[in-house]
Amino acid sequence: MSSRFRNSIWTLVSLALLAGCDREKSNPRGQPLAETIPDTSPDTVFPGDAKPRPLDPRAADYEQNAFAIAQGQQLFGAMNCVGCHAHGGGGMGPALMDSQWRYGGRIDQIAQSIAKGRPNGMPAWEGKLTDRQIWQLAAFVRSLSGQAPKDAVAARADELSNTPPQTQTKREPALPSDSAQQ
Amino acid sequence: MRRILVGLIAVVAIIALVAFTFILNRKSPVQPTLQQHAASAGKATPAEAASPPDDGNWIMPAKDYAATRFSGLGEITQANVGKLQVSFTFSTGTTEGFEAPPLVVNNVMYVVTPWPNNLFALDLTKPGAPPKWEYKPNPAAAAKGVACCGPVNRGASYWNGRIFMNLLDGNAVAVDAESGKEVWRTKLADIQRGETITMAPLVADGKVLVGNSGGEMGVRGWLAALDADTGKIVWKAYSTGPDKDVLIGPGYQAPYQQDKGRDLGVKSWPPGYWKIGGGTVWGWVSYDPQSKTIFYGTSNPGPWNQEQRPGDNKFTAGVFARDIGTGQARWFYQSTPHDLYDHDDINEILLVDYPIGNGRRIPALIRPSRNGFFYVQDRRTGRVLSARPYGMINVYKGVDLRSGRLIPVAGMEPVPGRAVRNICPASPGAKDWNPSAFSPVTGLVYIPHLNLCQDMGVKNANYIAGTPFVGADVKMYAGPGGNRGVLTAWDPVAQRAVFEIKEDLPLWSPALATAGGIVFYGTMDGWFKAIDARTGKLLWQFKTGSGIIGQPISYRGPDGHQYIAVPSGVGGWAGAIVSAQLDPRDPSGALGFSNAVKDLPKRVSAGGTVYVFALPK
Amino acid sequence: MTRRGLIVCSFLLCLAACSGIQTPLGNSGADDSSFIRLFVTFLVVCTVMYLLVVGALAGALANRRRLLTVEEGTHHESSPWIRRALIGWAALIVAGLVGLTIASFFTDRAAAKRAMRPQFTVKIIANQWWWDIIYTTPDVSQAVHTANELHLPVGVEAEVSLESNDVIHSFWVPNLAGKQDLIPGRTTDIQLLPTKTGLYRGQCAEFCGIQHANMALAVQVESREAFLRWIAQQRRAAFAPTTPTELAGYHYFTTHECSSCHSIAGTPANGQVGPDLTHVASRRTIAAGALPMSSGNLYGWVADPQSQKPGNKMPTIGLAPNELHAVVAYLQRLK
Repeated sequence: MSSRFRNSIWTLVSLALLAGCDREKSNPRGQPLAETIPDTSPDTVFPGDAKPRPLDPRAADYEQNAFAIAQGQQLFGAMNCVGCHAHGGGGMGPALMDSQWRYGGRIDQIAQSIAKGRPNGMPAWEGKLTDRQIWQLAAFVRSLSGQAPKDAVAARADELSNTPPQTQTKREPALPSDSAQQ
Repeated sequence: MRRILVGLIAVVAIIALVAFTFILNRKSPVQPTLQQHAASAGKATPAEAASPPDDGNWIMPAKDYAATRFSGLGEITQANVGKLQVSFTFSTGTTEGFEAPPLVVNNVMYVVTPWPNNLFALDLTKPGAPPKWEYKPNPAAAAKGVACCGPVNRGASYWNGRIFMNLLDGNAVAVDAESGKEVWRTKLADIQRGETITMAPLVADGKVLVGNSGGEMGVRGWLAALDADTGKIVWKAYSTGPDKDVLIGPGYQAPYQQDKGRDLGVKSWPPGYWKIGGGTVWGWVSYDPQSKTIFYGTSNPGPWNQEQRPGDNKFTAGVFARDIGTGQARWFYQSTPHDLYDHDDINEILLVDYPIGNGRRIPALIRPSRNGFFYVQDRRTGRVLSARPYGMINVYKGVDLRSGRLIPVAGMEPVPGRAVRNICPASPGAKDWNPSAFSPVTGLVYIPHLNLCQDMGVKNANYIAGTPFVGADVKMYAGPGGNRGVLTAWDPVAQRAVFEIKEDLPLWSPALATAGGIVFYGTMDGWFKAIDARTGKLLWQFKTGSGIIGQPISYRGPDGHQYIAVPSGVGGWAGAIVSAQLDPRDPSGALGFSNAVKDLPKRVSAGGTVYVFALPK
Repeated sequence: MTRRGLIVCSFLLCLAACSGIQTPLGNSGADDSSFIRLFVTFLVVCTVMYLLVVGALAGALANRRRLLTVEEGTHHESSPWIRRALIGWAALIVAGLVGLTIASFFTDRAAAKRAMRPQFTVKIIANQWWWDIIYTTPDVSQAVHTANELHLPVGVEAEVSLESNDVIHSFWVPNLAGKQDLIPGRTTDIQLLPTKTGLYRGQCAEFCGIQHANMALAVQVESREAFLRWIAQQRRAAFAPTTPTELAGYHYFTTHECSSCHSIAGTPANGQVGPDLTHVASRRTIAAGALPMSSGNLYGWVADPQSQKPGNKMPTIGLAPNELHAVVAYLQRLK
């Protein structure tokens, strides 16, 4: 082929490669000072005409971030979440891979559940984990029910769990009765 | 010449064949020493002092101190049990696993529920048995988060006008049987450390014996004796740690070298691991009033990942005999040293007088252990007379009767990074907590148990107080044959099964044997069954509203007739997939049980009702 | 200076790596010594062969003019001395190869023989990105658990059993022996026989993640008496806090984030996923060789581990100044 044609092809290919330049920021360090636990509510009933609190702006940083979900996966095993919740199926604690959420299924509600604990046995991890770690855990918990984008989910762990890989996990529906789940 | 050669070859071949057959049939080290005496020796009988004649009441879950779970009432027989019908029912209002048997004392029935551990007294003299009073102890809800296998309660005990029971959040209480008022409450266990209490207390010699739960939470196990009148702690014996904590003193005499030595509860652990080592006492305690000795077993060591805790891990997964007055240990036998698969040893211990041939009988204890072996031991010394498998075992070769040591199969230890497959019996063992019943009429032990195998993978477990300390992923499934449960009628003298009934679902309910020649038990999908005690033939069954994992009992009602009562409410470790609404898509849920009972949610729902049956008037 | 001279000088500079705490030419371990001997043998034999080849090439180049002047058509008989030389050359090659094989065989055999006589065992479990070290003993309750620093008695055969908790790492202390991988799901091993006391540096030699470069191991080879003293000290429970600041640090450590991952023997802190810190102040480095141990470095590390070793598993907590003082004061007490 002619040299001009070849040059055009190479130019196009090089331009296409620029698509790979948008790399995800993993940001292992986070903010210099401690982040705060989200100010949200597990409830869906607000008296008068009050509206449910809007989703915390940090949610997207964690929910779609592969690094956060991968760190959350490691913490899920290291902090013994697996001992109560198995790999999403539940045991001592409720299942996390289905669509039932006792205390709200939004990422900030999950982060609050982890940090503050819940009645009926969920321990309060505030002070035992940094807030950044709690958000990472909440992002991983979201991915157990298929809520995370498929290019951000964690790699298949080596455990003997035999659940389908996260890239094939069906996205559980948000229940229509749960207006807090958006 | 040729013919001679052919003849020689034939002779050599025959010799080789015979030798080969001998090698194949070579006996394992499990050589039961009593087998040859079995036929002529007669039956085992319950230890007399521990098993008084039936007065029509049911005052403790085991029926008597010898743990026979045998009712002496004979009105219901093989001939008429087919006519058995519901007399009344009682709904408790809870829907967690219902394991506690109702107690019946002086025409009042006492029902203990799983968390919130409410206690009902039903007046049996009135039609429909309405409640007389209800005792609501309000245990902490947070205790549910540290109860490994459902917020269950295995029962109460009656003594001297009081009902004694344990609460999930670690309290032992005494309630006045007449009025329902709390007499005393003693806090024994700390849910902050992952401790709960689920066992049924044993009341004997003026003491209430209470043990903790939490072998999966890095809890240090103990058994405490409280004064029955005041609730004050009289003694407390730990299952790990230095001898002074384990109450091992000059009177301790272990039957085997493996359990002899000083401070074994520290020396057989890596530094510091005995403090979080397990050995909880969440199962059954038996008592011999003649020698004033209690017998009980300890739970698994923690964590399940065996690589983190090299050593024998004393005194977990073994049986203690202690003096009830002081708590000092008389002997200890470790059934499963350095447990690899969560094979606790807390199963029921039946106290019998056992024939050993030539007309001689010795005081013995017999027990179907979780590791799959049916042990017969001299209860004075702890010496093992025989240990025969009553279920499918492929991870242990047997028990060496000379050294007393369990012989594991090499190469089946779970190590991090590698999955070990086809482990039989699975973690709940050949039989879990649900106790068997013994009939002195037939001389057989009726064992409702499991046929499960599993795949297991382990990894480094982190210890954070109040959270699980396990480090294992498990996936259970049906063992050979495809049935997940089996009821075995075991002859403890002949050391073999007389008959077996295969059940589709795992059997998680205890058994009841009656003098009328019937054995009662329930299945996880709610069928309450009566079988012939001699042949195993199904004589009657009734479908209750939820799965049965609780103890059936039999009592004499105010009208003088025999009644059978059973709690119906699926849950516990086996039924968690239903009672806790787990997701069956994760096979490792409920520590691996989810995979074994994936079909259960479609077959049964949670519930909490007591059913009482009687013959038609 | 000519360009060639500069190149030669830069090569000479590389020889500076020949001594020091992390060099395969250190001659401080038995495996290392035998490796050096083998290396030198190979070097000598190969140098001699190389010189012969070069010499032959030079001779051929020198004679090329003469050959070109030979008349065409002349039947040129190969001179007998060339044939003899070629036969001799082949024999030399065979002898050389056989000799090298034998030398290699004896070296391997000596290493294997040593492998059958270990006198004590150490278990090393590699994690991302630190080393968990357990000195095992037949009496399991006397085991010693430490991290990131390995002490060995000189002249004593040590069997090091290697495992990994996550990905493949590789154990490499150049002064003592070669590399050995730590593979999850398997146990590999390596035998070390240190012959010279001193401080050496080992490191992970198989890429294992973002902080693979900062996964070093301080190795101290010392006399038997010094080693036993060190083991006895490591076996003790942690020193109790004495001052109010240390006590505050102890309280923070055992009730907050630190004890979720770290353990200190004799205290309620029993976390198993991070390095054991019972005697952290007695170590030479922080964070598997990322920083040398000093007060300032310890403050910097505890305050912000992510800026020192970004991506590692210890989070930046954001301690308040008084909390930081207290925790570091307590850690410095843990000698």
